[in-house]
Amino acid sequence: MSGLLILFLLIPLVGIGALFFVRRGSVMFMLSLGAVLLDVLCLLVGISGLPTCLPMQTAGGWLYLDHLSAWHLLVMLLVFTAGSLFAPVYFRDDLGSGRLSLTAARRYNQLWLGSLWTMTLTLLANNIGLMWVGMEATTLVTAFLVSIYPKPAAIEAMWKYLIICSVGIAFAFIGTMLVAASLPATGEGSQQLFWTQLSVAGGYNLLLLKAAFLFSLVGFGTKAGLAPMHTWLPDAHSQAPGPVSAMFSGFMLNAALYCIMRHGAIVNHALGSDQFTSRLYIIFGLVSIVVSAAFIIYQHDIKRLLAYHSVEHLGIITLGLGLGPVGCFAALLHTLNHSLCKSLSFFAAGRLGQLYGSHEMGRIRGALHGAPLWGIALVGSLLALIGVAPFSIFISEYLLVKAGIDRQAIVALVIFLLGSGVVFVAALEHLIPMAWGTAGDLPEKRCSLSAVAVVVGLLGLLLFFGLYLPVPIQNFLTRAAALIGGLS
Amino acid sequence: MLTLMSLLLFLLVLTNLTLLGSSRLAFCIRIVALQGVVLGLIPLVGLQPLSLRHGLLSLTAIVLKGGVFPWLLLRSLRVARVKREVEPFIGFNVSLSIGFFALISSVVFASKLPFGGHKDTLIIALALFTMITGLLLLISRHKALSMVLGYLVLENGIYCLGTVVADHIPMVVEFGVLLDVWVAVFGMGIAMYQINREFDHTDVDRLTELRG
Repeated sequence: MSGLLILFLLIPLVGIGALFFVRRGSVMFMLSLGAVLLDVLCLLVGISGLPTCLPMQTAGGWLYLDHLSAWHLLVMLLVFTAGSLFAPVYFRDDLGSGRLSLTAARRYNQLWLGSLWTMTLTLLANNIGLMWVGMEATTLVTAFLVSIYPKPAAIEAMWKYLIICSVGIAFAFIGTMLVAASLPATGEGSQQLFWTQLSVAGGYNLLLLKAAFLFSLVGFGTKAGLAPMHTWLPDAHSQAPGPVSAMFSGFMLNAALYCIMRHGAIVNHALGSDQFTSRLYIIFGLVSIVVSAAFIIYQHDIKRLLAYHSVEHLGIITLGLGLGPVGCFAALLHTLNHSLCKSLSFFAAGRLGQLYGSHEMGRIRGALHGAPLWGIALVGSLLALIGVAPFSIFISEYLLVKAGIDRQAIVALVIFLLGSGVVFVAALEHLIPMAWGTAGDLPEKRCSLSAVAVVVGLLGLLLFFGLYLPVPIQNFLTRAAALIGGLS
Repeated sequence: MLTLMSLLLFLLVLTNLTLLGSSRLAFCIRIVALQGVVLGLIPLVGLQPLSLRHGLLSLTAIVLKGGVFPWLLLRSLRVARVKREVEPFIGFNVSLSIGFFALISSVVFASKLPFGGHKDTLIIALALFTMITGLLLLISRHKALSMVLGYLVLENGIYCLGTVVADHIPMVVEFGVLLDVWVAVFGMGIAMYQINREFDHTDVDRLTELRG
């Protein structure tokens, strides 16, 4: 069973190697879809046995999977599957006209599988140093996905992304180092930095450990797009091609937040209470919500609008982490909902941008009529994104409010609700003319089967989880939420 | 041994202040190289007894920071045809003054930190000072290459801190060296190449299309 963990790391690498030998663009996209689907197959095989064999370790304890990482692995594979299905739709025209050369297509697919590999490494690493290495590698691999079309604006975005996130990741390294510094020397070697050891160890220097958490929160928080360290995010998200923006928003940010959860659990365990981390989670969460709400009002580029929505939702997830076990449960559920929803909205924005020849919201008019499939996708996903029932984001936000009332965090809740209210109104104001305005003439495009499958599948999942959350998933999430709390 | 250590620490301070005050990029690259060698030597001189692991780590650091990185950077300097950093956002004199202030604050701050063993307090202080210098270079300079240098200096500081505070657990400082190799050289190196090809310049402050 534990051999599965090695397979997860092996499949993308084999895919990257195989791409060197492919000479046709469409085959390259099929190949990366195949690799992702193989990963999904592994997970499905694993899921049947997961409840009994989690947590599991392999490779001398360096690789580790528990409920928390398994949940993130599931979300990641959903996002990558949807992205791999959508990529051929998005790139077909450019591949046909030669705007995307074969070399660029190969590089895109290799970097795509490379990002999958680095994020898998982040999730499966047991040693917090190795986890950090995985996160750092995501920056390098994904930076060049932003500038796959070497336009000046894309290169500018790539450079900002690289510099800001590299400094962030350097801070996260200081955090990791300080965790090591807060430990007494026991001569156990690098096993001492295994999360499985850290979450049960004693004898920490608490002051250093708290400082370590601050550095990790700011460092990984930069990568997760938490305000005020979010400044790279709108640029990178808006300049990257559609599937890449979806992957950034749908999972890369979550991977960084996952690292914060791991560090937070260690601190909670060492301090014996979650008061210290909760307060920080709530502050960073609320600042992100407020800042993004302010920026959402004034956006005129649809992808930048969606990017600020990511800042908001990552803020909501972080806020949830600070609201006790129920809050953590809501946060994890929100992770899934946000990832599904944001993938769909970035797909729609990317495709509509191609059809209308611009990402300016002023120029996208009457999408429901002009391009029905992507119009429906945009309307559905944006409505879900701002928390309209019966989509699943409504449920996770409702749970979060409930958790906040239980913890009597009334001020936090008021700010959260006000922020979401502003976002709700502002987003609707942007959405209505885009969806229902009078459409100009659009070039007639037929919708491929995979495009329909992506839209229907993602919207269906959003509705399904909004109406019904199966009991096994609830149990699974409860176990995962307990791991974040770190208090057994 | 104490005198050799003092010399190294003195050199560390001197390299930082020189970087804050000089505009010629080729010269700055060489100073960063010197700093890399100094940092590689500090654990060798400071730690008794020496282990194989420390020897290898120091050797790697010296070869990478003192040899490979500067060579790559000097090469890209020739390709980008830039010579000096002109009028940074924070002037050279102001940078130097901030540097002196940062040096004093780091020493005061480090003496209050809860790291056991007081003998290393000075090294920790200088590590902090190096990190601040790196950050200052990162935020105050125009040229992409200066920012890469700033990042390397920040990394040097982190490496130095790591060799003192996290040395008792293997594979922490080693991971940090990876950060250098990947980010500063591969990542930013390729990025600079792309900027140079598309814009005919590497003035990062002239990348101003994306706002709001």
